Amino acid sequence: MAETPMWEQVGTSFVQLYYQRFDTSRVELSALYTDASCLSWEGQQFQGKTAIMEKLMSLPFQKIQHSITSQDHQPTPDNCILSMVVGQLKVDNDPVMGFHQLFILKNISDNWVCTNDIFRLALYNFA
Amino acid sequence: MGDKPIWEQIGSSFVQHYYQLFDTDRTHLGSIYIDASCLTWEGQQCQGKAAIVEKLSSLPFQKIQHSITSQDHQPTPDSCILSMVVGQLKADEDPIIGFHQIFLLKNINDAWVCTNDMFRLALHNFS
Repeated sequence: MAETPMWEQVGTSFVQLYYQRFDTSRVELSALYTDASCLSWEGQQFQGKTAIMEKLMSLPFQKIQHSITSQDHQPTPDNCILSMVVGQLKVDNDPVMGFHQLFILKNISDNWVCTNDIFRLALYNFA
Repeated sequence: MGDKPIWEQIGSSFVQHYYQLFDTDRTHLGSIYIDASCLTWEGQQCQGKAAIVEKLSSLPFQKIQHSITSQDHQPTPDSCILSMVVGQLKADEDPIIGFHQIFLLKNINDAWVCTNDMFRLALHNFS
């Protein structure tokens, strides 16, 4: 049986760590970003670890739980890892909602950090 | 009012072009991929332009229409462009269904090509 490719191992570990921290201690997400990281949160852009953490820490809920439906990982031409997550989340007493998120991971000094992060709720305009 | 950043212009143009080609004649999508491109389609991996076009051309529907709900674009540290699309699609007479797709674009010889492509339908396990 073939081994899981490296990018899948790294991507899967990152995704698990990210949502575990997000759901239990968001402040610890800081270690996953750098000063060059970009976050797009529901269309709003944030540049750099400080601005990103300010946004994530100010999100208006007490508790949150993410549930991952699917995750896909690919290596990029520049030796980064691209990860796409589809899942559901529950915030406080709100109904469960779908979400989509993607990450680009880059190896800097032997650590995999997130340089790009895009998050969207699965809300559609009903055409 | 500022100009749109270049990555947004390129990302938006690409996304528009991609879905227009996809909805009218997907056999022509070959021009946007290269031999190093990866596609993950609903969890299935395809490597290289030929395999990707074969996969997309063989999808089992006659007609399809995509409707984009949101798109986000970011520059990556390696001068690529990351694009995430959330939308809805209708294939043949099936009900409308949500989808999530991401593209990584790279400039090779003055043309922006897609090196990484991931597609998932917005289907969840109801936990």
